[in-house]
Amino acid sequence: MSHATRNTQHVLRLTYDIYLVGVGGQGVLTIGELVAEAAHRRGVPVNFYPTKGMAQRGGFVKARIRLGREMAGPNIPEKGADLVIAMEVSEALKAVRFIKPGGDFVLFGHVWAPTAVMLGKADYPTLDRVQEQVQEAEGRMYYLAPESLPLYEGAPVPANIFVLGAATGHTGLGDILVPSEVAHVVQTRWKRGVERNRSAFQAGLNAFTGS
Amino acid sequence: MSKSVNPANPCSELLTGNEAVALGALRAGVKVVTGYPGTPSTGALASLLRMDLDDGRHVEWSINEKVAFEIAAGAAWAGQRALCTMKMSGLNVAYDSLISIAYSGCIGGLVIYVADDPGVSAGMAEQDSRGFARMSDLPMLEPASVAEAYRLVQVAFELSERAGTPVFVRLVTGIAQSKAAVELVQPNPPAPFPMREGGGSPPRFGEGSGERSEAKLVRDITKFTKAGSAICMAQHRDLIARLEKAGQVIREMGLNRLRLSPPQPPPTGGERGGGLGIIASGVMASYLEEGFEIAAQFGFERDAVSMLRMVATNPFPAAEVQALLRHCNAILVLEELEPYIERCVYIEAHRLGFEGRIVGKLDGLFSRIGECGVSHVVRGIGAALNLPIPDDLFRGSDTAEQLAAQRPITVCAGCPHRGTFMAINQAIRRLKYKKDEVMVTGDIGCTILGMNPPFHTVWSEVAMGASLGMAQGYVHGGVETPVIATIGDSTFFHAGIPGLVNAIQHQVPLTLIIMDNGWTSMTGMQVNPGTDEPFQQPGDRRVDIAKIIPALGVEHFFIIDPFDLDESAATIQKALTLPGVKVVLSRQECAIQAQRRGLKAGKVKVVPENCNLCNLCIIRTGCPAISIGEDAVVIDPNLCYGCGLCAQVCNREAIESVT
Repeated sequence: MSHATRNTQHVLRLTYDIYLVGVGGQGVLTIGELVAEAAHRRGVPVNFYPTKGMAQRGGFVKARIRLGREMAGPNIPEKGADLVIAMEVSEALKAVRFIKPGGDFVLFGHVWAPTAVMLGKADYPTLDRVQEQVQEAEGRMYYLAPESLPLYEGAPVPANIFVLGAATGHTGLGDILVPSEVAHVVQTRWKRGVERNRSAFQAGLNAFTGS
Repeated sequence: MSKSVNPANPCSELLTGNEAVALGALRAGVKVVTGYPGTPSTGALASLLRMDLDDGRHVEWSINEKVAFEIAAGAAWAGQRALCTMKMSGLNVAYDSLISIAYSGCIGGLVIYVADDPGVSAGMAEQDSRGFARMSDLPMLEPASVAEAYRLVQVAFELSERAGTPVFVRLVTGIAQSKAAVELVQPNPPAPFPMREGGGSPPRFGEGSGERSEAKLVRDITKFTKAGSAICMAQHRDLIARLEKAGQVIREMGLNRLRLSPPQPPPTGGERGGGLGIIASGVMASYLEEGFEIAAQFGFERDAVSMLRMVATNPFPAAEVQALLRHCNAILVLEELEPYIERCVYIEAHRLGFEGRIVGKLDGLFSRIGECGVSHVVRGIGAALNLPIPDDLFRGSDTAEQLAAQRPITVCAGCPHRGTFMAINQAIRRLKYKKDEVMVTGDIGCTILGMNPPFHTVWSEVAMGASLGMAQGYVHGGVETPVIATIGDSTFFHAGIPGLVNAIQHQVPLTLIIMDNGWTSMTGMQVNPGTDEPFQQPGDRRVDIAKIIPALGVEHFFIIDPFDLDESAATIQKALTLPGVKVVLSRQECAIQAQRRGLKAGKVKVVPENCNLCNLCIIRTGCPAISIGEDAVVIDPNLCYGCGLCAQVCNREAIESVT
């Protein structure tokens, strides 16, 4: 189901475009902030374009990160994203048209059911359906089951940091940014929860191994 | 503002376009900054407020954009540099004063920062503010990136003072809300424009002496009043002259960059040489390099192309465009939204007898709707040069998106508006009306979310304060069932009060429900006149809506607590049956803001043995904190604010309020 091996064919590229999707409240935009900061510290030109407004309201959230261009337009064209990070199963579908054929598609399998779905009045796409669509768009699927979220002191680690770790460790993102530097940004961004965040990121880096 | 620093270059900081505008204005020595919140422009003024400036500058959220602009203009007439910020819809509000002040010009630098929203990230008309710059004959600068926004705001102040005119800086959402690196320079203290009596030359930015001098008063009725046709027509002449002067300054500054391709081989087969000329403005310029790289794969030669990077889009740089038309045999115009530049290119083409192709929106290639991107650069080049660009190069499958679940936005867990919508619905039901028999006009802000499920309460959304005027129109139009207008606190202050006064004067039978949560919430919780005093800026005071309404002579005025559903519904029900203008003030603080201070309205818990999973609590409240569990509903304790509305709709005592 998931491609557990790192794409070793990946050549070092000068530009790298990331499309992020999820639901307000999942920390999708935080992933973008962290990537932007790690890039900036490394001197990699970055343009981070979040769509805000519904962040606290359980609405669709998206963001675009363009790395490596001195002059970067904010938007990524369809079929242009080297990497998609989707934090929610249904919202992942909204990113499919942006994945570049052969690009990496990291999906965290959380299901955030809208009320109508919860009440049985509306349909919700199956995971198979989403994987099928990604495959049709020739994206390389990296699936992270919500159950794979490790615990830290008895509570699940922050999913967004875990997913960022997985993307950094297993996709081309790790070629343009240095994993240890991303880890440093994760650990210095907040005063609280340093160890929790560190372990979340590390668990992401180690994801897919042994599965 | 959060700081991200590149160790190799400590002056380089990651900023949003909004922050770049704010810091650019500080660098230019701005003295007064005013605005009204509106996505995507909010972050500019908000970032200045977060800085707690105590260096003699004045920064405020004003009651609306018109007042904000008048304050900024007054400061500029007193010789100070002033900035006014707003979204494109706000410009409509400010425009009455703006066009009058355009006729008068300004003394100190006056910059209007307006952010347009192509692609509609925030739900409003997709209007193009460049049309307003045209109509008011004011110069407009359009940065292509965050870093350019920082620089051009400073240029705008200089241009404003050298030409004596207010200047627009226009961003679009993609730049206003993008974060990118900016090389920062130390801000300058506020410094007024030296009066021109002595004939001294205006200062250039970055040359501020650092000495703060006093504001100046200038009495000049021919400049600052509109008394009589002679004055107004003279001002019209001055306005046109100032725009022309601005055009000269813009040329001196070299803002619009023209690069003609090297001379082509002599034309063969009767065709003119010179190849393709591209005109790109605003954000479109940021896609050029990327577009050229992609087009190169299909035979495009970048050295053969001529370029006009249009940074100042008003006044229209006709000389540069003519140079391009003389040199080229095809023109590609890249601009978002309306074809303002392209239309002017046609005029110049006509003047010169240009016979080549003009590719853009008017030939049907591009749409006037939505955000543009690199695909427009590539497709435009392909169309102009007949390159074999595959149709599906940028066309991903849209079937995936159609499979996604609908996710209508609703109000947050604990939002007091939820209780008000539920109470309105209950009042309508109790009066034995069907829902589609009672008009409930809506307004701008979080209160519009009552249009969505599960409430379906609100019918319309027009413009700030419009709920009141629209409701009166329904009454006069002959609607005999009750008519309700709904509005939020900030929107009421902004433009709702005149509508209410009109209804009172003309004794229009309607019920106004003001949902007062104490904050301008939709745009990220800004302070407004009604916000509680401790949260006002130092020295500011609160204006209480509960004191305004009775002072207007409203006879039937009620205050309700939206977390008390039965009482609220009964009050609204009563109001709907009374004659004349009734006002219901529904009051509870925005739950997001209250929870940021660690407050909760109360506490509820599920009694699982009483729950039969009828889901009435979810169906009625649509609260994001409630989900369906194995044997009973589950309430997320982190999301729950304890408003208790779910407990009030449960008819099996399966959710109870804990005290």
